[in-house]
Amino acid sequence: MLPIDAAAHGSRWRRRHPGEKAVLGFGLTLCAVALPAWPGAALVGTATLAVLLGPAGVAPRLLWRAFRVPLGFCVTGAAPLLFQVGGAGGLVSPAPDGPLHAGELLLRTSAASLGVLLFAFTTPVSDVLPRLVRAGVPAPVVDVALVMYRIGFLLLDTVARVRQAQHARLGQASRAAAWRSLAGLGATAFVRAFDRAARLQDGLAGRGYDGTLRVLVPRAEVSRRFLAATAGLLAVLVVLTYALRGLLT
Amino acid sequence: MHIAEGYLPPAHAAAWAVASAPFVVHGVRALTREVRSNPESTLLLGASGAFTFVLSALKIPSVTGSCSHPTGTGLGAILFRPPIMAVLGTITLLFQALLLAHGGLTTLGANVFSMAVVGPWAGFGTYWLLRRSGASLMVAVFFGAFVADLSTYCVTSVQLALAFPDPGSGIPGALAKFGSIFALTQIPLAVSEGLLTVLVMRLLTQSSKAELLRLGVLSKLTGKGGSKGAEAGAAGEEKETVTR
Repeated sequence: MLPIDAAAHGSRWRRRHPGEKAVLGFGLTLCAVALPAWPGAALVGTATLAVLLGPAGVAPRLLWRAFRVPLGFCVTGAAPLLFQVGGAGGLVSPAPDGPLHAGELLLRTSAASLGVLLFAFTTPVSDVLPRLVRAGVPAPVVDVALVMYRIGFLLLDTVARVRQAQHARLGQASRAAAWRSLAGLGATAFVRAFDRAARLQDGLAGRGYDGTLRVLVPRAEVSRRFLAATAGLLAVLVVLTYALRGLLT
Repeated sequence: MHIAEGYLPPAHAAAWAVASAPFVVHGVRALTREVRSNPESTLLLGASGAFTFVLSALKIPSVTGSCSHPTGTGLGAILFRPPIMAVLGTITLLFQALLLAHGGLTTLGANVFSMAVVGPWAGFGTYWLLRRSGASLMVAVFFGAFVADLSTYCVTSVQLALAFPDPGSGIPGALAKFGSIFALTQIPLAVSEGLLTVLVMRLLTQSSKAELLRLGVLSKLTGKGGSKGAEAGAAGEEKETVTR
């Protein structure tokens, strides 16, 4: 299991309805994207971090490990805004207001990423997928996604073990060996995926498979109090952003 | 490289979501039809999607000395066809956003357009044209994967340039800026992905003939629906597969 999903299964908010957490996490993400980056994204980022580490109870180390991935993308993506091509300064020169725009982008992407992480760290994908049918996603697509989710973890585990075995047999000793090993790894993943699917098919056929994958979904009630608190938080962030923006400009 | 969460302005994020929607809806219809007429294909498609997800998690060595991930869109499109890849790619991108914090939900439309729509269609189109013109399977697979990878990053460059025009030279300057940054890493990576895809396909023709026949990849090799050149080249491949 991947670290984020493993953390979601053990989350303090695991039993909360996914809809509540979606409204909170994606609401914060939308605020981060739609509000002015300064001070909006900074406020949203701070609030999201407070919710993640406080009520949601996400371990700081786990959060940092997950957050450094999008942070790396954010930094890489913001760097080109520091420069401009052409103009009076030559072929490549520092962009006017480049640091400001890069900083704003960094704030916005960081805050938005934290919003999605809030949802991901508290809601296992297995809780979300079966509920998507009610949201209007065709059942066959949800079934395929469910199978992808289940087989994906098994395949990742298989790939990790094959890679370990290749290492032990000097499969990475030279560049040519590394390429051979990598190709073997890809082909093994393909073979194992179809083998798993065939075995799953046999098992389901023995249990009267009729084309729909029925899974137990943990029962959860939507908490009006939680939704009201979420709406309050989002409203405060919007009002505070425009109030501070008025004061700062 | 996926476009990170929150990177695109809201109007751009919405526009790319609208642009990719028809392709995804077309793919969903194709997938739903397939599953309704053939229920056991749910598992096969799920396995295919899981393979795509795992393929995008493999690290490939780059010529520059670093390593990166293959997009997997070329191989996926050749094996499963572009409409199905639009759906599988969308689900894969959704899983990557939620399970790996790669990409994002507000940028899902833009990422789907580059990785699950343009990449697979460009890669499959190249593969199909080469096979029709009589190229061997492995040559077609190499260029299919190469073009799929490179077109994905070209579209990503366009998306970024449209969102962040250069202050001095506008969208063309931004395109040159983002394009040259990607070109440094992505041309070697596209070559690497092409080579890797050829190696994987070569192993698959030896070990998974039944699956390739079921997916219709090897049926082209036996000449059904392929051009004469493709048939001739394929017959050799088929013979080679059988004798091994």
